[in-house]
Amino acid sequence: MVTKLKEVDAVIVGLGWTGGILAKELTEAGLKVVALERGGMRSTDKDFAVPGIRDELRFVNRQDLMMNTARDTLTIRNNPSQEALPMRRLGSFLPGDGVGGSGVHWSGHTWRWTDMEFKVRSMYEERYGKNFIPADMTIQDWGITYAEIEPYYDRFEYTAAISGKAGNIKGQIQPGGNPFEAPRAREYPLPPLATILSSEMFDKAARNTGYHPFPRPTANASRAYTNPDGAKFGACQYCGFCGRFGCEANAKGSAHMTVIPIAMRNPNFELREHCWVTKVLKDSDGKRVTGVTYTNILNGDEFEQPAGIVMLCAYAINNVHLMLLSGIGEPYDPVTQKGVIGKNYCYQTGAGATLFFEGRHFNPFMSAGGSNVTMDDFNTNWDFDRGPHGFVGGYNVGAGFNTPLPLSFRPLPRGTPQWGKAWKTATAKWWGSAMNIGSSGSVMANRYNYYDLDPTYKNAFGLPMMRMTFDYKENEHKLGRHAAEIVNSIAKSMNPTHLNEASARTEPWSVVPYQSTHNTGGTIMGTDPKTSAVNKYLQSWDCHNLFCVGANVFPHNSSYNPTGPVGALTYWTADAIKRYVKNPGPMVPA
Amino acid sequence: MNRMIHILAAIAVVAVPVAALADGDVARGEQKFGDCAACHSVETGVNNVGPSLHAVFGRKAGDLVDFRYSPALKRSGITWTTQTLDQFIADPQKVVPANRMPYGGMTDAGDRADLIAYLQKASK
Repeated sequence: MVTKLKEVDAVIVGLGWTGGILAKELTEAGLKVVALERGGMRSTDKDFAVPGIRDELRFVNRQDLMMNTARDTLTIRNNPSQEALPMRRLGSFLPGDGVGGSGVHWSGHTWRWTDMEFKVRSMYEERYGKNFIPADMTIQDWGITYAEIEPYYDRFEYTAAISGKAGNIKGQIQPGGNPFEAPRAREYPLPPLATILSSEMFDKAARNTGYHPFPRPTANASRAYTNPDGAKFGACQYCGFCGRFGCEANAKGSAHMTVIPIAMRNPNFELREHCWVTKVLKDSDGKRVTGVTYTNILNGDEFEQPAGIVMLCAYAINNVHLMLLSGIGEPYDPVTQKGVIGKNYCYQTGAGATLFFEGRHFNPFMSAGGSNVTMDDFNTNWDFDRGPHGFVGGYNVGAGFNTPLPLSFRPLPRGTPQWGKAWKTATAKWWGSAMNIGSSGSVMANRYNYYDLDPTYKNAFGLPMMRMTFDYKENEHKLGRHAAEIVNSIAKSMNPTHLNEASARTEPWSVVPYQSTHNTGGTIMGTDPKTSAVNKYLQSWDCHNLFCVGANVFPHNSSYNPTGPVGALTYWTADAIKRYVKNPGPMVPA
Repeated sequence: MNRMIHILAAIAVVAVPVAALADGDVARGEQKFGDCAACHSVETGVNNVGPSLHAVFGRKAGDLVDFRYSPALKRSGITWTTQTLDQFIADPQKVVPANRMPYGGMTDAGDRADLIAYLQKASK
């Protein structure tokens, strides 16, 4: 039996960064808001205090902060000719679970994506001609501009305590920052983190080669900070346990210690934990949604929560899944290329080298999530001519340490025995004397990379699982080979004792080893309802009181981490919803 | 043995800050408290990541019944005074090894004097 509850102004599905920001903004605007979160409440003092948080077995191997694949998972395949099989254990990506979402266990890297992404098709076509973009590469412009969302990037950076160095303030290039970034109105709220030896050595080598390295902007507070909302941050302690862990010092910008506690103090807000949303309900004419149904996963009770506005703020994959389960919008079909829901699923690629320096001590156990120096010479640098290399997109190159785990981080020269005395000797010798140079590369949308509902497998609620069809295409192979070549040339210039060279990912994508929790697309934004699921305000083209918020709206994936534009677009959407409630209806004419 | 060395080292630095402690700047100390404020409150009964600092002076370390302290701090035998707090804040892990406060320390004696002057006022 489904219990029908009293209607509220708005319901939020999932309480991480996006849900938290919207909960705070909309309750302050006077709306009665209920958030439904599939996991439980989390707080720094109860859940992330030392020594309990220093538990690699619990948080890495047993994935304590991540989604439970025994309840729901995805089926995975590389291309439409294969049979997809369920992913029984998380590997390649790690969606979070519980209040704060993946913003609890992230490392904090926060970037501003530029018009090179938002106008990807028009800029490449204009410079390289229409034929440069392969026929099966379904990239498209996003329908927004950098200038429109610049103030919202700023808002998110000051909320999440980003430490960094501006490279371009109002068109003036700043020494020490990224000269290829788009103009920003002002500096980061906090100066960069302290440097570490590995990033200093990379910085020197890259500079000597003529590149432009800079400290990576990251939500690890370089000193104590109070954000504009009054949330208090401690200074990062460089503890070495950042990605996959919560922060014990309140130094990592996370929704559970910023926007969410502010919303929770507001009488207009109610959080319901352990509530699994199963469907978004449409009204009879299909022009509006009327609320959601959900199951209390502690006892199985089912509810209908009517709401004036529904905001999908779950992990990017789950937002798309809910759209497909609810029958909102036309599902994408890769054969006819009709439909939009599930379209343009993208991921990331990369290539990395490990450098071994006999006698050097990198002390990897002392690092922040963003202890890293990066260069964008082959990324946001539009002057880098992609023509001779034949790929669309770019990659950033960086070095430093992010969570080099005591047990799992085992840098060893290639050819070292994988067990026994020789392995132990080499492990002891190299653990502190090795560093990585990594690159993170964009993935352009492709006709055959998409999501749909699995025809065979069902989750614990009896609903079809999400099916992910993904592989790297020739564009990414070319980009990866170029990245590997550049990484190796910088690495060799540093004269390491041993070098494990970087190589491009050209084998079929595997869901097993961890790669990146940067899954994008599926309900993409755009200017035309025929080719996008939501408009520039992340408002559904089909149902005007439904907003899909998160990286699921990205029409393709860049080399950068997604949280910067996710945060910015959430503040942008919050402002749009405040206008919407005064004058409900489609905010962009279809 | 190790602990003895730490305690001796801590005692050795007492002479220097005492003079500075007398003339701490409360307003500057309030700003320095920003380093602590993400975890500590001076309000009575408000325990967060760290215990409330209300009425901290004269209290035994690890004494609040409603806060879960590290075993190291509980058995430290410290009573909080301007001197012991000054030594502790300078290098918490040196004075009480294995305590679980995630803070590297405030190295400048003048900063600590200001902070303690503020705490003396605010913790009452």
